[in-house]
Amino acid sequence: MKSKFEYNPVALENLQIKDPSILDRLIDTESVRQGNLKKERAKVDKRMTLKEAVAEYVSDGDIYADSGFSYVRTPLQALFEVMRQGKKGLQGIGSPNTNHSYGIPYGVFSYSHNSYLGAEMRGTDRSYSISVQQKKVDILSEWSHGAMALGFKAAQIGAPYLASKSMLASDMINHNPYVKVVDNPFKKDKDPVCLVPALHPDVVFIHVQQADKYGNARIYGPSVNDIALASACRKVIITAEEIVPESDLRNNTGGNIIPFMFVDAVVDLPFGAAPGNCPGHYYWSREFWEWGIRITLSGKSDEARDSFWNYWVFDCKDQLEFVEKLGGVRWIEQHRKLEKASNLTYEDDGVDFSYTSVIPKWD
Amino acid sequence: MSKAQPNPLEMLAFVVAKQIEDKQIVYVGTGLPMVGAILAKKTHAPNITLVYESGGQDPIEGPMPWSVADPVTWRKAPLTMEMSLSFAQAANGFVDVAFQGAAQIDMYGNLNTHVIGDFNKPKARLTGSGGGNDLSSLTENSIIVGLQTPEKFPAKLDFMTSPGHLTGGNTRREAGLLGNGPVAVITQVGVYDFEPESKRMRIKSLHPGMTVEIAQACTGFELLVPEDEIPVTPIPTAEDLRLLREEVDPQKMFITFPPQ
Repeated sequence: MKSKFEYNPVALENLQIKDPSILDRLIDTESVRQGNLKKERAKVDKRMTLKEAVAEYVSDGDIYADSGFSYVRTPLQALFEVMRQGKKGLQGIGSPNTNHSYGIPYGVFSYSHNSYLGAEMRGTDRSYSISVQQKKVDILSEWSHGAMALGFKAAQIGAPYLASKSMLASDMINHNPYVKVVDNPFKKDKDPVCLVPALHPDVVFIHVQQADKYGNARIYGPSVNDIALASACRKVIITAEEIVPESDLRNNTGGNIIPFMFVDAVVDLPFGAAPGNCPGHYYWSREFWEWGIRITLSGKSDEARDSFWNYWVFDCKDQLEFVEKLGGVRWIEQHRKLEKASNLTYEDDGVDFSYTSVIPKWD
Repeated sequence: MSKAQPNPLEMLAFVVAKQIEDKQIVYVGTGLPMVGAILAKKTHAPNITLVYESGGQDPIEGPMPWSVADPVTWRKAPLTMEMSLSFAQAANGFVDVAFQGAAQIDMYGNLNTHVIGDFNKPKARLTGSGGGNDLSSLTENSIIVGLQTPEKFPAKLDFMTSPGHLTGGNTRREAGLLGNGPVAVITQVGVYDFEPESKRMRIKSLHPGMTVEIAQACTGFELLVPEDEIPVTPIPTAEDLRLLREEVDPQKMFITFPPQ
C-alpha cells in the first residue's frame, strides 16, 4: 500500500516498518474532519452499556488511546472489556501508554506508539520487554511525553503541527517516522526545532466523574491529555462515575471540559477507573499493582500471567464483580476514606496510606 | 548500621536535598529526588515549590508517591495543569531544576531509558522516555541521580533518550536545546559536575571512605579529576536522618538499603 505522507526514511528503516501506510491514520487530519462533519449534530441520549460501546466503537486494528494517567482516572474497566471481547491488532498510544501492556500477550495490542510503558516505582515492565523481544508487539514510533502531548494539543486546536524543543538530538528522532527537525524560519541564527504533527487516534475512552446523557462531561483533578484527546480522536466514548442532569452542568460549569458534540457514546459506569484512583470518589489499589507486577509484569511465567488476567478480566463479568473481588464494600469504604483524606476534607491525621493485602494471595 | 550513619540511599537523598536552593521551583520525579526535595523543604529550603508531570502545582506533602501521576503529586494542590502545559512550564522558564534517573549515563550526562542492547533485538526493553527527554531538553538545570556501576556509566549508550551535553563543547546549544543541561550527577560514590569547556563528567566531591580509584572503578569511561584536593561530601546530621526516617519517608519506600 502506498502511504499518503512523507515519513522519515531513517526511522522507517530503524523501526523495520515495511508498509508505512499503517502509519497514515494517526496523522490524517482531513479524514478526521470529514468524519466529524458527519457526526450527530443534535443533542441525543447517547447512553449505552459498556459491552455495546466496545462492540460498536472499537474495531480490530484501531489506534487506541490511553487516557488519564497510568492509574489516575484511567478507563481501566473499558480496557478490560476490550480485552474480554477479544479485540485484535490495536495500535496503542498515549502518554503514558502503560496499561496497554496487559493486552499484548493476547493479541489485543500488536503495535505501540511508545512514550512510557513501565511499572512506575517498580521500574521496568518485564512482560512488555519479553513481548518486544518476541516481536509480539511492533514499535511504530518513539515519543517523549511532552512531544506526544503536543501532538494531541495540535489536533485539539486545529493546528497541522506544532514546533517543540523536546526530542532534539535524541535517538528518538530517528525512531519516530512522524517528527521532523527543521530550522526555525523566524530566526536569523540557526535554531533547530522539532515539528510534531497533529495526532489523531481512532478511539478513546475517557473516564469522568460526571457527564450528562448527551456527553457533556466534567472532571475533577488532573485532566492530563484528555481535553486534547476528546478533540483529537475519531471516536470518543465517555464512561462516567455518575450521569447527572444537563441542568447540573449548566449551573455548575467548573471542570466541564468536553462538549457533547465530540462524544459518540456515554456509559454509566461507576467504578470505571477501578482499581485505579478516581479523584473525589476512590483511592487507587496499590496492592493490585504490587500483586500484578509480581505475578504478570515480572514476566514470571505464562501460566501465572494467565491465571492473573483470567481472574481479574476474562472470568470477570463487569466492573462491579471486579470491585467484589477487590474486597467489595470494605474496599469501597477504605478507598473512599483514603481518597477523601488524600485530596479532600477528611481528617488525614492518623489515616494509614500504607498498602495492605486485601486481595487473595496468589503466589 | 548504627542510627547515626546514613545508608547509601539516605546519603543520596541527603545530597539531593543539598543541591536544592530555597525559593526554587523544582520538577520532581518519584523516588529519591522526591525524598531529597521534601527533606530540603523541611530543612534549609522551606520556600521551594514542587511541580510534577501530573500538572500538580505546589501540593501538600503526603505519603511517598508511587509514580509521577500519583494522587500525592497534586495533593490538595491549588490547581493542576494539562500535561502539555506542565512541560511548557519548563520551556517557559518556570522550572529551576529537574531531577533525572536512568539505566545508562554517559560522560556528557546523556541518558538512556529505552533499551539495553540492540533496539530491535534488545537484551531488555525499558520504559521509554516518559517526561525524561522533555525535562532534559527544556529545564534550566537538571541533576542526575542514581547508583553508579560501570554498566550504568558506560562509554557508549545503547540508545540516547534524553540529551545532556551531547558530545560536549557547544553541541547542546547548537542542537537547539534549552537550558544548561545537567549540572550535577549524584551517586552512592560521590558528586560530579561537568568541566566547563569539554562538558565531560568530573569529580566534584567524594563521599566519606570513597577514593578516586573507587569512583573510576565504578565508571565505564574516564572521569576527569580536578587538580585541587577533592572535598569530602558532607554527611547528614542525626537530625537530618531522623527527619528522613520518621517524617519524610516513614514507610521506608525509597530509603531502605538494599532497595526492596
